Amino acid sequence: MSYFRTRIERIGEAAVGASRAAVELWQVYVGTIAGLVRPGRNRPRGELARQLHAIGNKSVLFIIVTLGFIGMVMTYEACMQLSRVTGDYSQVGTQFLRLIISDFGPTLTGLMLATRVGAGIAAEIGSMKVTEQIDALRMSGVLPIDYLIVPRFIASLVMTLMLSVLGATVMYGAGGLTAQYTFGVNPHLFFDISLIRPRHVILMVVKALSYGAAIPVVAGFCGLRARGSSEGVGWATTAAVIGSSFAVIVLDFVISAAALFLTDGDL
Amino acid sequence: MSAYVEWKNVTKAFSGKPVLKGMSLAVQKGEVMFIIGTSGVGKSVTIKHLVGLLRIDGGEIWFDGQRVDTLPERKLAPLRKRIGMVFQSSTLFDSMTLAENVALPLRKHQRMSWSASLEEANKRLDQVHMAQYADRHPAELSDGMRKRAAIARTLALSPEVVLFDEPTTGLDPVSARRIDRLIRELADKLGVTAIVVSHDPPSIFGVADRVAFLYQGIVHVVATPAELTASTDPVVQQFITGKSTGPMETPGF
Repeated sequence: MSYFRTRIERIGEAAVGASRAAVELWQVYVGTIAGLVRPGRNRPRGELARQLHAIGNKSVLFIIVTLGFIGMVMTYEACMQLSRVTGDYSQVGTQFLRLIISDFGPTLTGLMLATRVGAGIAAEIGSMKVTEQIDALRMSGVLPIDYLIVPRFIASLVMTLMLSVLGATVMYGAGGLTAQYTFGVNPHLFFDISLIRPRHVILMVVKALSYGAAIPVVAGFCGLRARGSSEGVGWATTAAVIGSSFAVIVLDFVISAAALFLTDGDL
Repeated sequence: MSAYVEWKNVTKAFSGKPVLKGMSLAVQKGEVMFIIGTSGVGKSVTIKHLVGLLRIDGGEIWFDGQRVDTLPERKLAPLRKRIGMVFQSSTLFDSMTLAENVALPLRKHQRMSWSASLEEANKRLDQVHMAQYADRHPAELSDGMRKRAAIARTLALSPEVVLFDEPTTGLDPVSARRIDRLIRELADKLGVTAIVVSHDPPSIFGVADRVAFLYQGIVHVVATPAELTASTDPVVQQFITGKSTGPMETPGF
């Protein structure tokens, strides 16, 4: 009997813990949105520029390399399958571009940023938490969310969108070169943008901005929950990578489903 | 005489484990009160409750006739302007110079301009003999220098009460005694109330007006250093003489 009671108690504790975490995540999100409209003097001088550089510029090579390779692999696989079935490559480029713009470009960029940027934010804020620097900020009259998360939030919004465009371009270009040199696909046929409609671009922007908003909030929340010492920072960093990657995937599903619903499946 | 700062029957638990079990303590204005006790007994937790960095589970905390434990976060700013805290690790912000660190609370609490706050910060750093390092970053300085800069940051707002969390831990004896002297001068010359968490016997017996000995979640005894030394309480005697054997129960041993 006591065995079952212990089990039930543990499930209950986990449920309470998860509910509390969800409330805290919501509070961080609301606090960040509120921080956007508060005066900019709550934020450190030059911090936005520093974060734009850290999140954006320092991710450029990472995004180019990873999305370039993924573009090459996806095109190669698509052409390979087509060569076995019809051998007609005329639609490869246009369909690939549609997929890149409405999904793979922003989502793969979001996932890459979730690992690189999410881990960095959680580690930095988590270290500040366990060394009492967050408490020192509060004692100095500073709201930690305004000071630490809001600049990262703005920088992430801007840079996720820009890097998504860059990543999609690199992915498309790398795919086109692969198709041309491996399967002899005509570049004029591959780089045909006639099937792209404004709704695809809107979908890309919505997804990129949503991921850009989610990553710093989830990572910042994980950093603020860090406890203890370096082990706590490690846990916070791991949780940030998992949490922000998961957020990107869930948002991708939700936004894609909403887009299909709003366009009656005509995407 | 009513207390300036008072903890009344305060309880606090972490993950179901009680740390404070009805702790009560009254501190008078201008007094230097040391809170001593073994590691993990709740000394730092006690002082963090006063400024809302931690929330109590039960009891009351009063400051200057006002109950402060129920204040929401957004109403704590005026309290944190009147009560400063020097943390155990210096907690200076790595990305800022010393002057910028000291200027930060001036800009936030007193709404000073950037240039005025930096000018004031340099004056405050000069008071702790750190003015020549104003443009350095914390990583370039020793622990003792960082601690002095952290004290300058706390004193920048001219607080009425200063909480020191193990201010001499990790410092060489000379730097530690300088910090002691600074605490004493704050009380004697400026009338600042100092509440100091410490393990350091020379600090305790050289600076304190009174000492509160925290044991098993409550204040076991409050006494002057002389009374503490003369105490026949075996637990107190074991703590102040630092003997490994005796009646004292220490978690983890």
